[in-house]
Amino acid sequence: MKEAVLTITNHDGFHMRPAGELVKVTSRFRSRITVERDGLEVDGKSILGVLMLAAGQSSEIRVRAEGVDEEEAIEAVRKLLEDKFGEE
Amino acid sequence: MAKSKTLTGIAASPGFGVARALVLATPETGESRRIAPAQAEAEIARLAQAVERARAELRQALVELEELGEKTARSMVEIELMVLEDPATLAAFEEQVTQEHLAAEGAVQAVAAPFAKRYSQHESKQYQDRAWELAAAFRAVVNHLQRRTMPRFADLTEPVVVVARDLAPHETIRFDEHRDKIAGIATERGGRTSHFAILARTFGIPCVVALPHLTTETVDGEWITVDGFSGTIEIRPSARALDRHRRRQKLLAAQGERLTALRQEPCRTKDGKPVELSANIELPAEVEHVLLSGAAGIGLYRTEFFYLDRPHLPGEEEQFEAYASVAERLSPRPVIIRTMDLGGDKVASYLGATKEANPFLGWRGIRFALQHPAMFRTQLRAIYRAGTRGNLRMMFPMVTTCSELDDALALAADVRAELQREGASFDPDLEIGMMVETPSAVFAADLMSRRVRFFSIGSNDLIQYTLAMDRGNERIAHLYEPLEPAVLRAVDQTVRAGHDADIWVGLCGEMAGDPRVAVLLVGLGLDELSVSPFDVPRVKAALAAVDCGRAQAIARHCLTLACAPDIREYLRRELNPLLPGFLLGEAERGEDDGDASADADSAPSRAEPR
Repeated sequence: MKEAVLTITNHDGFHMRPAGELVKVTSRFRSRITVERDGLEVDGKSILGVLMLAAGQSSEIRVRAEGVDEEEAIEAVRKLLEDKFGEE
Repeated sequence: MAKSKTLTGIAASPGFGVARALVLATPETGESRRIAPAQAEAEIARLAQAVERARAELRQALVELEELGEKTARSMVEIELMVLEDPATLAAFEEQVTQEHLAAEGAVQAVAAPFAKRYSQHESKQYQDRAWELAAAFRAVVNHLQRRTMPRFADLTEPVVVVARDLAPHETIRFDEHRDKIAGIATERGGRTSHFAILARTFGIPCVVALPHLTTETVDGEWITVDGFSGTIEIRPSARALDRHRRRQKLLAAQGERLTALRQEPCRTKDGKPVELSANIELPAEVEHVLLSGAAGIGLYRTEFFYLDRPHLPGEEEQFEAYASVAERLSPRPVIIRTMDLGGDKVASYLGATKEANPFLGWRGIRFALQHPAMFRTQLRAIYRAGTRGNLRMMFPMVTTCSELDDALALAADVRAELQREGASFDPDLEIGMMVETPSAVFAADLMSRRVRFFSIGSNDLIQYTLAMDRGNERIAHLYEPLEPAVLRAVDQTVRAGHDADIWVGLCGEMAGDPRVAVLLVGLGLDELSVSPFDVPRVKAALAAVDCGRAQAIARHCLTLACAPDIREYLRRELNPLLPGFLLGEAERGEDDGDASADADSAPSRAEPR
């Protein structure tokens, strides 16, 4: 299992569009992916779950991936957050 | 029958509507009926079917929004669809049915509730604002469960007034094909720039938004009137009120026919002096309206929508495309873009703005823009680049000092130099003007006039700043008076300062939409008026009925009068014999006319619309 603690830097956090972008990325991988914030852990491939996190700007999230492509999955999520979900 | 009740909100689309209310269901009002375990299977099947129908509705909406080029609305619907296509969503619904023994509606509500709670209590205003947006997906399912979907319009035998908390894009997409079934729209939330409000204006459906307690006050099937001019609705109106409302409707329709004929006519006074009569818009989608109104151009293109009601900052390309498309469609007619006028009552949470004790005297307009140079430059770059696609101009809002103006002009020069260095295609000669909407700009108009190519008086703000009254404060709303001598003197002084420096002076604001006041303004020497597309033909008809010299004489006399009611009475006395009768009837709108005749051509003018 791989995991990473990442900080959300885009303006609007995991709100609607970024949550959608995240799920589009995680869904490309075969690994089981979860996202945790403040003790709440959700399925990283479920938009309903990610929206429930309601993670705002500068909040920290813990991403876990387990499976054949776990490393690539974590990297892809890291890149998405670094790119601020392609926002700017 | 319960007593009649009048609610006041914000006028979002002009016109009068009267019909029975169609109250749209919301997840909050869904039932929480319990079911027997044996019924679970049937209930889940009902849920699955409703979810599938809601998905189909959203997919169809996506296609239609794509065709309409509505990007923001489309991305909203896209997320709603993702939520409904998420297997976890259906599983969560099912769990509520099997574990909690809730009926389908209650199950959806139970899944939606924690989101609503979490979002509405979120520390970030961004999330608080979006609670409803997320709820739209759940609402779509409940609507299908209760068979209360928009396509139901087709089955209606008579028109309705749509009453709702708020309306999502997928709910309003069919408004145009059912235009004849929708007499009006009234909502509890939303603003003039809400997606549905813009559609209402586009389709000519009277609409009032931001009506407190609307959905708890209104019962499905009750009569309701919508006044899209004054922003009021009346629930359970008396027979007399209903009758009065219908007469106004007829009057307006009769006017509409007379005014349609004027669309292709140029705007000029009776003796032929041309007046540039333009229209105001808030969104690119409103261009169609402007073209239909017969306006000579766009005198005020507000750009706040790029920054508000959305989660992130707009990029240069997105802005460029929007400005270029408006410029192209209007070309060769001029389009004046007002650069970002944020702050005051228009604040996006992600901009880091905090609550201010006096937002209208605070961080807004050009002050805000100059403190966000990167954001401001992005907009200026987009405007300069779009300038090659048509006749584009720009103006700065809320200027109070010459040094502010100089800073903004220097930034614009810097952006031009940057574009030059990059070899980008842009319009280096794009005209820059400024809005005159503060008393300080009026007093310093002679100094500022040498720095810009035109003035546009923003009358809504100029009135409130000149009279030191907050137009949002209901207790002093009666003090908001465009005809106060101080306001007319401010306009007069600005026009003279502009003309002394050989620049043209326009006015954009609600006061110019009143036909008699428009004559007065042209008499004061304004070269351009910019009004809502709806008012364009009315103002055109009024100006065509009066000689320029007469308008000037009337204006001079108005400047000698000491109070607004006298000025109003004088305008009425002088202009009523000149203006076409079908325009005068309009003065009845919004007034309790008692036994007044509703005859369009002979109605005496009794009162001005506010």
